Amino acid sequence: MNLNVDRLCVSFADAHIVNEVSVQVKNKQFVGLIGPNGCGKSTLLKSIYKVIKPREGEVLLGDINVIKANPKQVSRKLGVVGQFNELSFDFTVQEMVMMGRTPHKGLLETDSSDDYRIVEAALAKVNLASYANRSYNSLSGGEKQRVILARTLAQQPEFMILDEPTNHLDIKYQLQILSIVRKLDIGILAALHDLTLAAEYCDYLYVMKEGRVVAKGEPEQILTKELIAEVFDVDCEIYRNPVTGGLGIAYLQAGGM
Amino acid sequence: MQTATLTGNEPKKSLIHTRSGFLAMTGVLLIIMLLSAGAAVSFGQVEIPISQSYRILLHQITGIQIGDPADLASGSFVDIIWKIRLPRVLLAMFIGAGLTLCGTIMQAAVQNPLADPYILGISSGASLGATFAILVGFGSIGFLGQTGIAFWAFAGAVGASLLVLMLASSGGKMTSVKLVLAGMVINALCTAFANFIVYFANNAEGIKTVTFWTMGSLAAASWDKLPLISIVIVLSVAFFLLQSRVLNTMLLGDEAAVTLGINLSVYRRAYLVVSALITGVMVASCGMIGFVGLIIPHMVRGLVGSDHRRLLPTSVLCGAIFLIWTDVIARTIVPNVELPIGIITALIGAPLFMYMLVKKGYAFGGKS
Ligand SMILES: Nc1ncnc2c1ncn2[C@@H]1O[C@H](COP(=O)(O)OP(=O)(O)OP(=O)(O)O)[C@@H](O)[C@H]1O
Ligand SMILES: [Mg+2]
Repeated sequence: MNLNVDRLCVSFADAHIVNEVSVQVKNKQFVGLIGPNGCGKSTLLKSIYKVIKPREGEVLLGDINVIKANPKQVSRKLGVVGQFNELSFDFTVQEMVMMGRTPHKGLLETDSSDDYRIVEAALAKVNLASYANRSYNSLSGGEKQRVILARTLAQQPEFMILDEPTNHLDIKYQLQILSIVRKLDIGILAALHDLTLAAEYCDYLYVMKEGRVVAKGEPEQILTKELIAEVFDVDCEIYRNPVTGGLGIAYLQAGGM
Repeated sequence: MQTATLTGNEPKKSLIHTRSGFLAMTGVLLIIMLLSAGAAVSFGQVEIPISQSYRILLHQITGIQIGDPADLASGSFVDIIWKIRLPRVLLAMFIGAGLTLCGTIMQAAVQNPLADPYILGISSGASLGATFAILVGFGSIGFLGQTGIAFWAFAGAVGASLLVLMLASSGGKMTSVKLVLAGMVINALCTAFANFIVYFANNAEGIKTVTFWTMGSLAAASWDKLPLISIVIVLSVAFFLLQSRVLNTMLLGDEAAVTLGINLSVYRRAYLVVSALITGVMVASCGMIGFVGLIIPHMVRGLVGSDHRRLLPTSVLCGAIFLIWTDVIARTIVPNVELPIGIITALIGAPLFMYMLVKKGYAFGGKS
């Protein structure tokens, strides 16, 4: 499923947080969104998944006009792993993941054995199969993040948006989550902080600064010393990692220090 | 990866969590509720043996005679049970169920396990309405003179909660913190007005009625009051049972709910209005009965979890059973005196509530 964001603008009161941002995700690509803290990545993603109403612009997911469509219709196609993972009520992990089935369920429909199978498979995929009866609130931050991913997998979306999905995760699960998501073979738009991981997993990158897209392209082409200095205000050297053959970034120091 | 069995917070995968286990438990609770209602008619200033109460009820309802027909057909016991105590016990049952239902719904709607049916300024609104009706009244102003305390309590409750809802949604999005704060503001206002009326009222008898009314009592129960209350509560239980999935996603918060296809702001408003109406009807018929809507859902959550498909039926039944027996205590604990039931629920509920606070370390309005 393709995502087409066209000249999206978001403002809060007088502050223009996102300015005329256009993003395309085609052909089941994994597209990354990078940029410094506060540049508007989360705001952009939220206005794509209907939590914030943009001031102007259009969002098309396949042939659904996301901004006008009702949330249920969108949620059958679009899964979101966000950063809203704390609860004041407790659920078991199984109940939590089962909620991913909500978009596919009618008012009176009960959970079928298919639903249970989907939930079980989703938990197995994030290595939490034995956690089904644990209480969600007793999990660690990283485990919670994986449960949320499992819930989104259970939603069986055709497109997925992730906002810093590797937050809280140790290196093993950072790699695991990104490869799980990559293997889903659906379109992905993810805000990422780790530039090396972004270079490794993304097919295409958008770089944001102060609410605008300042660069876009394949990771190898746009992740340059000059761009990183300009956008993140950090000096670095780019090299080819001798072991993996991938892109390596050696950070030297923050500019102006 | 096999770290599954840590101690502590894990809900036990017990019988309750299987489908048949849960149905069995609901059935057992239903039977306990009906048996409780039958037994509760035995208690009061005149003690009636429980077995005789059951026989009288059975005879009255189905016409089946067991034992000495003389006990069944005549005598003051039949009148006491059928005309006085049974409607009261049934009222307790429905009010208990309704208060628990509203508590559960409010807690989901404001995403705070400490919310209760009176959070929206409903109690003080109802008090103000009742106080006004008792102490000022409308005298001979046409049809307004015909309306009773109940009507004005209802109007006050609903009016106050609509005001709270309006206040909480002013300036954009309605958040739970804004709701709680708006509730406090309206509470303070209504209480001030009610006190103003009481202060200038030259009517000792009226003031006593007001006080008694605010403490909650089921003493005014009668058969002709039951149809309204029972229909309202049965319908609303059925309505919210159908909404269980939405209620579940409500607990995840607005953002997660939207990504699961549910726009909470619409549902939240609707649920709060429906709960305010139900609470209004209940307050109008029996005054304020606190803590039931707070502690019962909380304790039942500890037993069956937060999934409303299990939580709602279980807590509604437990609430009904709880209030049936609390009313028995209110009728019998002090010989020849009938205590307002609100005093008993507060005496039981407040310490439990305190225990919950200490044990769980809840943060009030922690989420906005
Ligand atoms: N509700 C709001 N009202 C006003 N300003 C907001 C609001 N939400 C976000 N902002 C501002 O918008 C800007 C962009 O925030 P956003 O969360 O999109 O940044 P981000 O790129 O996701 O940053 P991070 O890397 O830290 O997650 C920030 O300056 C933030 O303070
Ligand atoms: Mg962010």
